[in-house]
Amino acid sequence: MSQKTILVADDESHILSVVSLKLRNAGFRVLTAVDGQEALDLTLSERPDLLITDYHMPAFSGIEVCQRLRQAGVKIPAIMLTARGYNLEPAETSQYGIVCMISKPFSPRHLLTTVQEVLERGVASTGTSEAA
Amino acid sequence: MRRSRELYILTMITLIGGALLGAADAVLSLRGNSTSAGFRTFWIVMLAGGAVGAAGLLESLRRSCQRLIAQLREGQAQTLTGNALIPATAFPFFSRAVNELQDACSRSVAQANLRAKELEIQLKVANAERQHAEAIIYSISDAVLVTDPFDEVVLANESAAKTFEFDLSKAARSPVDRVLRDPKMIAMIREMRQSHSRTGRRIVEHEVRSAAGGRTYKITLSSVTDGDAPAGVVAVLHDVTREKELAEMKNDFVSMVSHELRTPLASIRAYVEMLIDGEAQDAKTQREFYEVIQNESNRLGRLIDNILNISRIESGLVRVNKQPQSLTVILKDAIEVIAPQAQQKQIKINEQLTPIFYQTPADRDMLYQAALNLLSNAVKYTPTGGTISIQTTVDEGQRKVLTKIIDTGVGIPPKDLPYVFDKFYRAEANNRMANGTGLGLSLVKHIIETVHHGRMHVESCVGKGSAFGFELDLCE
Repeated sequence: MSQKTILVADDESHILSVVSLKLRNAGFRVLTAVDGQEALDLTLSERPDLLITDYHMPAFSGIEVCQRLRQAGVKIPAIMLTARGYNLEPAETSQYGIVCMISKPFSPRHLLTTVQEVLERGVASTGTSEAA
Repeated sequence: MRRSRELYILTMITLIGGALLGAADAVLSLRGNSTSAGFRTFWIVMLAGGAVGAAGLLESLRRSCQRLIAQLREGQAQTLTGNALIPATAFPFFSRAVNELQDACSRSVAQANLRAKELEIQLKVANAERQHAEAIIYSISDAVLVTDPFDEVVLANESAAKTFEFDLSKAARSPVDRVLRDPKMIAMIREMRQSHSRTGRRIVEHEVRSAAGGRTYKITLSSVTDGDAPAGVVAVLHDVTREKELAEMKNDFVSMVSHELRTPLASIRAYVEMLIDGEAQDAKTQREFYEVIQNESNRLGRLIDNILNISRIESGLVRVNKQPQSLTVILKDAIEVIAPQAQQKQIKINEQLTPIFYQTPADRDMLYQAALNLLSNAVKYTPTGGTISIQTTVDEGQRKVLTKIIDTGVGIPPKDLPYVFDKFYRAEANNRMANGTGLGLSLVKHIIETVHHGRMHVESCVGKGSAFGFELDLCE
């Protein structure tokens, strides 16, 4: 099986580092972005298999990144990390390809399991998730 | 009454006198064999006496009736009670009937007068109550609007006129759709009136737009009924704009605090789990992880301290211990603490401080915290090799001391400058430069302005740097 590429976008450098390390250790190729614009540009140019994005980021938010990708005709599943709790309707998130929302603080172990589920089956076992 | 009695006595005297004269004449006539003439004279006298007596009695009755009518007119019939028009001994049957009629009339008049007085009192009470109720309605700050079954304005207070921008003096008895220009409000009043609800009450939140902008009101609409028939609608509008703003601010604050607490906590939890799972494979990585956990724990601690300090200052619960303090000494202490961080980034610190004998009335710990926050920010947002200058100048005339902390940092974009002292506000462009809670500058402003009644200001130029300054009083 070819190596899957995951783009991780978060303006918190510590979160970006720890998630990247967890995924790399699990055998994924990881790209990183520190704001919405960079996340959009990298996704369009690199076409990763999965996007893990923070909700609140400089330039524009994680949800805007997903919206713009859909507008550009790019259908990449996304997992959203958020420290603001769940304030999005499931219909709204699924419309933009967000298959799962994970609330901060989160477990990297749980995040990895979710990533594997999404990449294998296209869906997560739970649409939204607290830290396991 | 005296005159009646006199007439009665006169009548009796006339009758008796007439009888005696007639009798004497009859006797004299008998002696003189003129029997028939004597009797005729007797009868004539008797009849004449009777006529005079009757005339006297009628005159007496007329006068009494006139007096009674006059007294009835004057509403003083009660004074007649117990004062018989005709003595009972004169004509028992007639006098009893007249006196009973008189008594009945007196009682009726008395009752009517009593009722009239009661009604008059009730009217005065009702008027007083109405005026009192109107005074209450006019005095309350809530807008009150009362309409009748024809949707005409019956009553409105000044607050209602101000809310809906209408002329209060022209509102009474005008159709509500001519007084108000708010279609939804008019519709609500009509719907309430048409609902025919006896005890109906509806509470709605509605935004009323005016020249001054929109304000949100909690409107209580009550249906007023007169028996079974609807009598109108009472609308009371309570302005909840400020309450809503405060609730939104509170929600935003909780949301912000939640976000700011979750962020360092997320790092701590993730790095701890990575260490437990053995994901940090070498000693160097492990050390990095421990440092991240330590730094994020400190960040969490600072955040909680800042939130609590701001909260205490805002609520007035903070205990302030103001003593004459040397600002120069406080600044030197803060510089000493921040110097190692500046050194790491090879940032040069310039001190241009006034002599230590200049003192300011200050809470030492708070002022130290403010200075530390400003210096910490300067170090965070100044690139490697930059300069931070700390200057104090004294204005002897104004008895003020001005402190300036000037850096050669990234600067703050003009659009962000008005908000830098707001809680949780962080200039987006500078987010990547350093971690922050967005509370440090808010706390500094509170310490300088709320606690020490000083003045805080900021100047900045993107790419060149920022200058944060504060002005405090000198001790007398």
